[in-house]
Amino acid sequence: MNRYARIFGQYLLVVAAAVVLNFALPRLAPGGPIEYLAPPADGTVSEVEREEILARYDLEGSTGDQFVSYMENLVNGDLGTSIRESRPVVEVIGDRVLWSLLLVGTAVIVSSVLGVMLGFAAGWRRGSRRDASILSGVLAVDALPAFFVGLMLLLVFSVKLGWFPVYGAVSAEEMDGFARVLDIGRRLVLPATTLTLVGLGSVFVVARSAMISETGEDYVFMARAKGLDEKGVRRHARRNALLPVSTVSLLGFSTLVGTATIVETVFSYPGLGSLGFAAVRSRDYPLLQGVFILFALVAIAVNLANDLLYPLLDPRVRQAGSSENDS
Amino acid sequence: MLLTLFGAAVLADVISSHPPDKASGLPYARPSSEHWLGTDDLGRDLWAQLVHGARLTLAVGLVAAISATIIGTMVALIAGWRGGWVDAVLMRIVDLTLSIPFLVLILVLASYFGRGAIVTTVLLVGVLWARPARLLRSQVLKLREFGHVIAADAMGASHPRILVRHVLHRLVPLLLSQFVRAAAVAVLVQSGVAFLGLGDPDRVSWGTTLFFANNGSAVLTDAWLWWIVPPGVALTLLIVGLAFIGLVFEEIADPGITSHGWRPAVRRVLEDAEDVPRDPSLALDIRNFSVDYDMTRVVRGVDLAVTRGRVFGLVGESGSGKSSLALGVLGLLPTGGRVIGGAAFLDDVDLRRLGRVRLSKMRGRELAVIPQAAMSLLDPTMTILRQVQESTELTADKRTAKTRATEMLERVGIPRNRHGSFPHELSGGQRQRVVIAMAVANQPKLLIADEPTTGLDVITQQEILALLEELRVELSLDILIISHDLPLIAAVADDISIMYAGQVIESGATAEVLATPRHPYTRLLVAAMPSLDGPPRAAEPIPGDAPDPSERTNGCSFAPRCPSAEPRCSETAPTLEPSPNQGSQPRAVACHVTDDSVVEVRIR
Repeated sequence: MNRYARIFGQYLLVVAAAVVLNFALPRLAPGGPIEYLAPPADGTVSEVEREEILARYDLEGSTGDQFVSYMENLVNGDLGTSIRESRPVVEVIGDRVLWSLLLVGTAVIVSSVLGVMLGFAAGWRRGSRRDASILSGVLAVDALPAFFVGLMLLLVFSVKLGWFPVYGAVSAEEMDGFARVLDIGRRLVLPATTLTLVGLGSVFVVARSAMISETGEDYVFMARAKGLDEKGVRRHARRNALLPVSTVSLLGFSTLVGTATIVETVFSYPGLGSLGFAAVRSRDYPLLQGVFILFALVAIAVNLANDLLYPLLDPRVRQAGSSENDS
Repeated sequence: MLLTLFGAAVLADVISSHPPDKASGLPYARPSSEHWLGTDDLGRDLWAQLVHGARLTLAVGLVAAISATIIGTMVALIAGWRGGWVDAVLMRIVDLTLSIPFLVLILVLASYFGRGAIVTTVLLVGVLWARPARLLRSQVLKLREFGHVIAADAMGASHPRILVRHVLHRLVPLLLSQFVRAAAVAVLVQSGVAFLGLGDPDRVSWGTTLFFANNGSAVLTDAWLWWIVPPGVALTLLIVGLAFIGLVFEEIADPGITSHGWRPAVRRVLEDAEDVPRDPSLALDIRNFSVDYDMTRVVRGVDLAVTRGRVFGLVGESGSGKSSLALGVLGLLPTGGRVIGGAAFLDDVDLRRLGRVRLSKMRGRELAVIPQAAMSLLDPTMTILRQVQESTELTADKRTAKTRATEMLERVGIPRNRHGSFPHELSGGQRQRVVIAMAVANQPKLLIADEPTTGLDVITQQEILALLEELRVELSLDILIISHDLPLIAAVADDISIMYAGQVIESGATAEVLATPRHPYTRLLVAAMPSLDGPPRAAEPIPGDAPDPSERTNGCSFAPRCPSAEPRCSETAPTLEPSPNQGSQPRAVACHVTDDSVVEVRIR
């Protein structure tokens, strides 16, 4: 069987599961959205009004009918109407998605690069003083809860020192060109730093242990035996240690997306996390469903990308994959 | 540290006099003897919140972690033991659970199902079980292959019984480390959720305190010092503590990684040279060389001289110290290995007196090596041309280096269209050719080949040996070849040394040593060689075992196995003494018995 077909098949199943879950969860919850949105006629809401509300949110008819219309809307890219903002969920999400991408993307890149560098530096000489100090330093940083880091950074750099704006992603006043970019950059620094610090640990741990296991490999010995200096030897170990790390930094992405919710709340950053959180607090169920399905799809896409990317990085797997396709 | 936190949680009522969730003073009070950490915006005592908060935080963390670990373990045992489709399905679910941004999931679920502490705990378990499940499963798979587990299975022990008796207890260290990790994540997520205002509204936890602090704009007043910092620091301490405990358990769970990793052996540069006259006809002159391995002497005062223009063979069974000798000379001893004394002259340079950096500058240029384990010596992620080019670049600029690397590969018999291949695409013999190309790329003076043909089939062995011989002549290399295989060495080497238990016990011109072996060990080795002209006979193993290098006696180390051993052999050790020779090459033997009777005993 073709390896790619199998991977895609598996992911299709996962997507289907996520879509069904997104449909089922609010309907399963006791005292959930339906009672909240359209309480049974009790005087405050008439039966007619209730029908209207149900119709507006596609909650009429049998569960089967609801599912069909849910699927139809989903395929057409229609995620319903936000209660809070009274406009299509797609629009509301669209306003935020770039900010989220900017914040999480920056954090993923910086924390991966930093985590790999530190992890390799520590793992190269396992048990050395350098290893011990980097390891304990990173573990301590990793233990800091995101909101605590965020609050402290906010406190020190924004409130006390006044270096960075306290909240928001972009200032309200009109700015043009470079000034605007600078403003966005300044407002990105603290949230991105927080998220980076929080995401650093998982990349570091994997990078370190990958490096440790590579240093014992025969080809590293050979590199030394054939006369390369330590820099050249390390280059060999690094190339190989990067393989397992690439997997983890992509998987860490989904954790960071979650943590971004907290960071965005602390810094009032207009990303998807704080949007989802606002939806939770105001019980804006269509919006919540929209955010959830988006997160789920992104997480799945990242996993898929990882599965497809890995063989391209490792010539051994690449070979095995192509010979499998030939047969 | 953790104990203090637990103590605070248990004794919360005793050490705080105020209720944590009701106003007991003025809002925004500063710390005082009445309110140790002041009060929040509603006048609630913050010290009380801190110690009471510890309760919920710890309780949720522990309960969630315990349940998640139990579920994870069960899934791992079932998946790992049953295998097949059960395994496949369970692992897909695990992957899915792992890839969900679970903080988002918990937020969403909390909004659907309510925000009580119990709901949060259940949700936490729902996402936390997957990680232990995955790691434990691979451990179970490994354990299944263990001999005693298979044996128990074959003897008909019931599966649950095997799992509990033989598998579960081996999982304990990993299980504990996973439990601790799960607890840390649970605490972190629980306080994150509470911080967002979705914690249990009826109970106090560190997260809720921080939630009120964030909403009460604590950062804008001085209240942050006693409002935000204490719960934040407490949380951090708790998680750091858990992380370090987890790390300790991980080290216990996987002692295997301790043995990994190469660290340069301690290298002491000798300052004062022994002023010994140098014989210019020698390519490599090793004198009184000793190597220790974790305090055990594995090479004991070895003398060895490679004459220019002649191939030198070093023979010994595995564990005789021949590779340690080579690695010691090259400065490539692994962690724990250490050169204790001696000298190794390459021309006029004593390699022992070079620092690590200067010695590494000799390797690959003047002194080259073909290490053991050639199958895995090449970097799997790099094309072979690039790897040979790395060698040629040591002495040439990039352009020339590439041309020379191409020539070198072609010279060792790798056709041009394969130069872009990765190592796994080549056969064992081809890989060995690549290693040879790298070794001789810079025309070294001396090539040390450590078991260059081990693991290859007989025909490939002959080809590789022929290639080495051709290169030797072309590049005028001097070769020190090391092997456990006496017939192989006999076929290629002009001179030979035989090592036993860290010492050279006999040396001389190969033809002479083979014709008239003097040391009893050599005699037995020679007798065991298959010969074409003699009558066919089964190769007889030498009775007994090689001595344990950590248990040295005063006497000859071969005495316990020696057919000609006399009482004095177990009292004093013989030294390597010159012995009569016929040709130009000196002979030497280390044996009391032979010393006395130079009469040669011919076995054939």
